[in-house]
Amino acid sequence: MSFRSFFQDFFIETGEITKFSLRVFKEVFVPPYEFKEFLIQCYNVGCKSIPLVGVTAFIMGLVVTLQSRPTLVQFGAGSWLPAMASVSIVREIGPVVTALMCAGKVGSNIGAELGSMKVTEQIDAMEVSGTNPFKFVAVTRILATTFMVPVLVVFADFFSLIGSFIAANIKGQISIYLFFNQVFEKLVFLDVIPSISKAFFFGFVIGLISCYQGYNSKKGTEGVGKSANAAVVISSLLIFVIDLLAVQITNAFI
Amino acid sequence: MNSAHVDLTAKKSQSPVIEISKLKKSFKNNHVLKGIDLTLKKGESIVVLGKSGSGKSVLIKCIVGLLRPDSGILKVFEKPVLELNHQELDKIREKIGFVFQSNALYDSMTVRKNLEFPLRRHLEKESKEQINQRVKNALTSVGLLNTIDMMPSELSGGMRKRISLARCLILNPEVMLYDEPTTGLDPITGEEISRLMVQMQKKYNSSSIIITHDMKCAKLTANQMLVLIDGLIYAKGTYAELEKSKDKKIKAFFE
Repeated sequence: MSFRSFFQDFFIETGEITKFSLRVFKEVFVPPYEFKEFLIQCYNVGCKSIPLVGVTAFIMGLVVTLQSRPTLVQFGAGSWLPAMASVSIVREIGPVVTALMCAGKVGSNIGAELGSMKVTEQIDAMEVSGTNPFKFVAVTRILATTFMVPVLVVFADFFSLIGSFIAANIKGQISIYLFFNQVFEKLVFLDVIPSISKAFFFGFVIGLISCYQGYNSKKGTEGVGKSANAAVVISSLLIFVIDLLAVQITNAFI
Repeated sequence: MNSAHVDLTAKKSQSPVIEISKLKKSFKNNHVLKGIDLTLKKGESIVVLGKSGSGKSVLIKCIVGLLRPDSGILKVFEKPVLELNHQELDKIREKIGFVFQSNALYDSMTVRKNLEFPLRRHLEKESKEQINQRVKNALTSVGLLNTIDMMPSELSGGMRKRISLARCLILNPEVMLYDEPTTGLDPITGEEISRLMVQMQKKYNSSSIIITHDMKCAKLTANQMLVLIDGLIYAKGTYAELEKSKDKKIKAFFE
């Protein structure tokens, strides 16, 4: 692929995704509303992801604390461990790990499901039977990921802090009361609000990219595979881009 | 010629339900339909024959509004499809049943949910019992009431085709569009499906356009046949007329 055609494809794809997202905003406010399907998707995205997100966040909290402890102790700042862990977890590890796990689990699922629906003409069948497939299939899933990823981030923060507390007790000794007292003493609204806010954007991007890829899947099983793959890769990449922007915006207020 | 065919011809009246004139459709530089003329009358059954990729499926997808033609006249129930908005198109679609080549059953839903799906928009005021009764009636029509709580993945190819047919029949459509209804089925099941199509057409007094290259299916179901070659209607006539044709391209379908 030449340099020129790469950029041409990139801008065409970006334009198509923008058109897709504008259509999402338009369809969200136009009745009929697919509320029941939205709740089903919230269950699929939210409840079914709790175990995976919980375990990952727990391990991350444990590992980060174990890795940070020796350095903090070396500088005589061992007592700062809960505070440091809480800020790292709430600001960065919780939202990013949750979003990446959701991009992997939910994004690939949506990309493959919609891709399969597209190639087996199920989306056409919905259209013919008088249901707006874009609203029923894409909008509900995008809304579900947008609202469920922030909820999952709260769960992830909680499990991660539990992991951190256990890690703090592996090498040292600290009561749960003192640990969480120090955690909440150092956390401020400017840590929590941007973290939850960017989770909304992460969720939206996961839903948008996955639905776009699935909805525009090319014919055949290869097309479905490519859609699932692109859903994960592009949404994961965009999660980091959003994170980069979010940190710049947040720092402007600190 | 079978008895079902004779019956259908007898019921035929003259009011057109679908009128197509000079319909053109292309995908980039690929001119698929180059000016199709077709008239489907009430109670009539037209079979469109053609090789794979000749634009047969594109034609019926244009009729139901899944694809937008580039030019031409396309009237369904005397309404110009190209000028209708989404709501008006949905009203038309209520009267059209579309059986997809791949059956297009929603694989995350049970057979019952699949059949209820078309009703959710069209018959919102019906009670749960009435909807349940409609589902059962449609399944009884295709002889598969016992599959009501099964998933599509648990069904055979022929059963899926029947369920797909039942999903269309649940709205008592006036026109049925079949996209290669016997493709991928064994000859016996294919014949069963063809006979079922004729039976359903008689029962619901509907008209139909059948896209196929299965001559057995065409023989059983057609009142009128059109041969689509290179994006144009190459020949038309009854099965018997086309069977006698000396034209090489037409003979190729009957060999």
